[in-house]
Amino acid sequence: MADASRVPAADLEAAPPARRAPLTAALLAPVRRIPATARRPVGLGFLIAGTLLFPFIVRNAGDIDAAANALAFAMLALGLNIVVGFAGLLDLGYAAFFAIGAYIYGMVASTQITPPWTDVWQPLQWLGLASRAHVEGGLDVVHLHVSFWLMLPGAALVAAGFGILFGAPTLRLRGDYLAIVTLGFGEIIPIVVRNTPDWTNGPMGLNGVISPQVFGFRFGVTSTPYYYLAAFLVALLVFVSYRLKDSRIGRAWMAIREDEIAAGAMGVNRTRLKLMAFSIGAAFAGATGTFYVAKLGTATPDMFQFPVSVMVLVMIVLGGMGSVPGVVLGALILQLLQSWFLQDLTQWVHALGRLVGSEGLQQVELVQTIELIFGIILVLMMLYRRDGLIPASRTTASLSLAEQAAMPSRGGIGVSLSGIRAVQLPAGTPMLEVLGLTKRFGGITAVKDLGFTIDPRTVVGLIGPNGSGKTTFFNLVTGLDTPDSGRVFFMGEDITGLPSHTIVERGIARTFQTLRLFANMTVLENVLVGMHARTRANAVGAVLLPRSVRAEEKDAREWAMEVLAIFGNRLLPRVRDIRRAGAAALDLVWCACGRYDSYYERGLKRWDCARAVAARPRLLLLDEPTAGMNPAETMELAEQIRSLNKMGLTVLLIEHKLNVVNTISDKVAVLDYGEKIAEGRVEEVHRNEDVIRAYLGRTAAAGI
Amino acid sequence: MTLHDVVLQQIINGLSLGAMYSLLALGFTMVYGIIELINFAHFNIFMVGSFIAMFALQFLGLHGQSRLLTGWPLVGALSLGFASTMLASGLLGVAIERIALRPMRNVRGTAAMITTIGVSYILFNIILLTMGAGAQNYPNPLPQVSWHIGGAVLRLREVLLWSVSLILMGVLHIFVQRTKMGKAMRATAQDQEAARMMGIEVDQIVMLTFFIGSALAGAAGLIFGLYYNNTSFLIGYTAGLRAFTAAVLGGIGNIVGAMMGGLIIGLIEALGGQVLQVRWTDVIIFSILIGVLALRPTGLLGLSTPKKS
Repeated sequence: MADASRVPAADLEAAPPARRAPLTAALLAPVRRIPATARRPVGLGFLIAGTLLFPFIVRNAGDIDAAANALAFAMLALGLNIVVGFAGLLDLGYAAFFAIGAYIYGMVASTQITPPWTDVWQPLQWLGLASRAHVEGGLDVVHLHVSFWLMLPGAALVAAGFGILFGAPTLRLRGDYLAIVTLGFGEIIPIVVRNTPDWTNGPMGLNGVISPQVFGFRFGVTSTPYYYLAAFLVALLVFVSYRLKDSRIGRAWMAIREDEIAAGAMGVNRTRLKLMAFSIGAAFAGATGTFYVAKLGTATPDMFQFPVSVMVLVMIVLGGMGSVPGVVLGALILQLLQSWFLQDLTQWVHALGRLVGSEGLQQVELVQTIELIFGIILVLMMLYRRDGLIPASRTTASLSLAEQAAMPSRGGIGVSLSGIRAVQLPAGTPMLEVLGLTKRFGGITAVKDLGFTIDPRTVVGLIGPNGSGKTTFFNLVTGLDTPDSGRVFFMGEDITGLPSHTIVERGIARTFQTLRLFANMTVLENVLVGMHARTRANAVGAVLLPRSVRAEEKDAREWAMEVLAIFGNRLLPRVRDIRRAGAAALDLVWCACGRYDSYYERGLKRWDCARAVAARPRLLLLDEPTAGMNPAETMELAEQIRSLNKMGLTVLLIEHKLNVVNTISDKVAVLDYGEKIAEGRVEEVHRNEDVIRAYLGRTAAAGI
Repeated sequence: MTLHDVVLQQIINGLSLGAMYSLLALGFTMVYGIIELINFAHFNIFMVGSFIAMFALQFLGLHGQSRLLTGWPLVGALSLGFASTMLASGLLGVAIERIALRPMRNVRGTAAMITTIGVSYILFNIILLTMGAGAQNYPNPLPQVSWHIGGAVLRLREVLLWSVSLILMGVLHIFVQRTKMGKAMRATAQDQEAARMMGIEVDQIVMLTFFIGSALAGAAGLIFGLYYNNTSFLIGYTAGLRAFTAAVLGGIGNIVGAMMGGLIIGLIEALGGQVLQVRWTDVIIFSILIGVLALRPTGLLGLSTPKKS
């Protein structure tokens, strides 16, 4: 097995360079000489050294200033990337949070707000955050000069608070409404700022904002210290972004982005996670606002209008939505385009105009066309390169063949899965009990007065013609739809109308007939999302990675591999076949790390099952799990379901293949037009006249 | 002016604004109804439309408010102005759909919306760069005829704008409800797949929807110019957001709802501006938008078509 696991690794090394242009190959030649494992640290080293030495190399104050501004916009882009790129929420009023951060610091670090001095302010003076100032011929007033270093996190927190405030009313709506609502908020904030001159000095803007100070050294108006501070902050935010992306939180965000309903059904609390993304993005913008106003020493409402939000959006679209290095690159490119390239180009065009004596060319101002360029970039990127310059990576290290082949398995699963075991219920308590469940869609009654029980540790088959209400019944049990009447009890507790993620937490997991997998995430990530309800890491834990979170993540991955090994084994022979077919299908070798589109439907069905089992359910609802499988595969999956049942899982199964139902079901229920027409042991149901009529029509029933 | 007169005057103003917002909201609501897309380009199709109309009127020899027309020449000039503007704006909308949006039709997520933002930005900046940032003096041949109703003044232009809007909306309503194409449009809005299977050319219907929506936006642009006597590159943003609010208020996807929503927003803008100060108008309108979305996302009239989740 050890040999087998090395084979694909060698192939992977050799395969990609086949179609590379000679120029690129020549440029990459020096890189090739560095050992693969060392490339990342070496590259990082160059990047850090280059960033640190930049002011010494450039020496031009204007250029350093432009670079500092570019880095500030990279911070904004990183924040918006969390909202748009990770969670898929289009925020068009992002500049509002930038404004909030800027004005919060501006107001407490300038002489805009000068309340009369009272002793209440004394503690602030002791802390050095305010001082008592004499006014000629008047009462003493307070001068606020709260420390920049205090306000940097402070403004982030305030902006995050506003993020929750703005997001809460609308985040439960469809995503596109959010775009327009945030656009509205983005418009309101500058209006409020303009119309509350006592606090903000209105359209004139705040002036004389105090610059940061470190150990007695004041930043003042020179750009270099701001440049270093911005570089540090960008590095910090990149770090935070990466940590979040590769965590339970990041996976849940991406699941929401890919398929909101399925994310809920996997145990992700959508509202909460969307709010989290929204507020973390806002916090980044708030901190950036504080930095920016400290650097400029002034803030006006015009600095935070809609075009700023669009510019940041263009940055992440250009760089690659969801890609951390991409958005930083996008921000740098656009800022430098604006402050360097277009100006230089204008100069050249003017020179050309003087040379050829053209009046028109001498008056061209290319800098003004920047917004036109933004618009063109947005459209072109969306049309031709939707993933941006540096697409968000979708693959991680590959699985060895040994890992893929862990479980060859006709005859069910030989091992017991940790965490899947029988639950002890008081005698007589059914696992699931449904009473009088009814659901109407307009004039159609999809489920009608349905009563039904499932005993613990049984496999129940739910059959019925198409459109008989089976999937609707699943949706009602798992909280994707709310019943018009009736109740659902799970392990004796009423779960009617609970949100879908809570139901997963209680212990019901499901698969989907229509395969709602998260298409742009790897198989492993999909399965890890299935574990969302069983893991605890929060955003802070995801960033700081304390030992408990590390251990949880490690356990989760091991558990996910364990589950995948059961359902993923079938991929092995195909992997070999396809590798013989050529490098085009190389993705398949990556198995758990491959993407959705590299799989075929049968594989996807198993993958969906794995994702549901990963949630460690008590009751597993499978919606046509064997659709599209050949007879051998079908029986294999049936045996696996039986094995899961032996470990203690209760299974409810929608299935059209009666041989599967016959083989593994302890009990069968038949639905027709939303009503239960039969229930009982397999043989009983087969003889039931109503069932025959529902399936084969009246004449067939009469012919018995 | 007594309070009574002030209110009456503001209702007159509000109805005029409302007529404009209704026409603009129709474009949002129809496109959303068919392909579930918030079309941000619509904001600036309206703005470009007002410029197209300005050129059309100038082509007819009308510059500024110097030359006033009456009788048939006025009817002829306005008919030509509206017809050419609506045709050109409609074609602009179709071009945008065909070039930028059709390839996005089946892409999930935010891509199509982002594209419309890009298109909107391009239109905005083309006008800014070619026409300059200043407000343009708009050709206006309407004679200064007005009637006094108590202390309020009703001008000819208002009566005219109301009539044009009513005619356009009436024609649209008849088209959507009574013609074969209208029926195809409604079918496509309800279920694109099923419509396709019934032999409806969905691509054509989408194109037609963009044409009608954009043509109405162009008409609204002309109305804006005649009403305010000027236009500029900036007008799309504010009017567009208000019209979108109107569409949401009426129930997005619902054509009658958009007409009603437009009138309500126009009245709120006029009366609200009177009660509070004008500078808070936008805050009031956005609060309505957010309030409606948070409390009753289906709007006043509800969805005319069931939507996928």
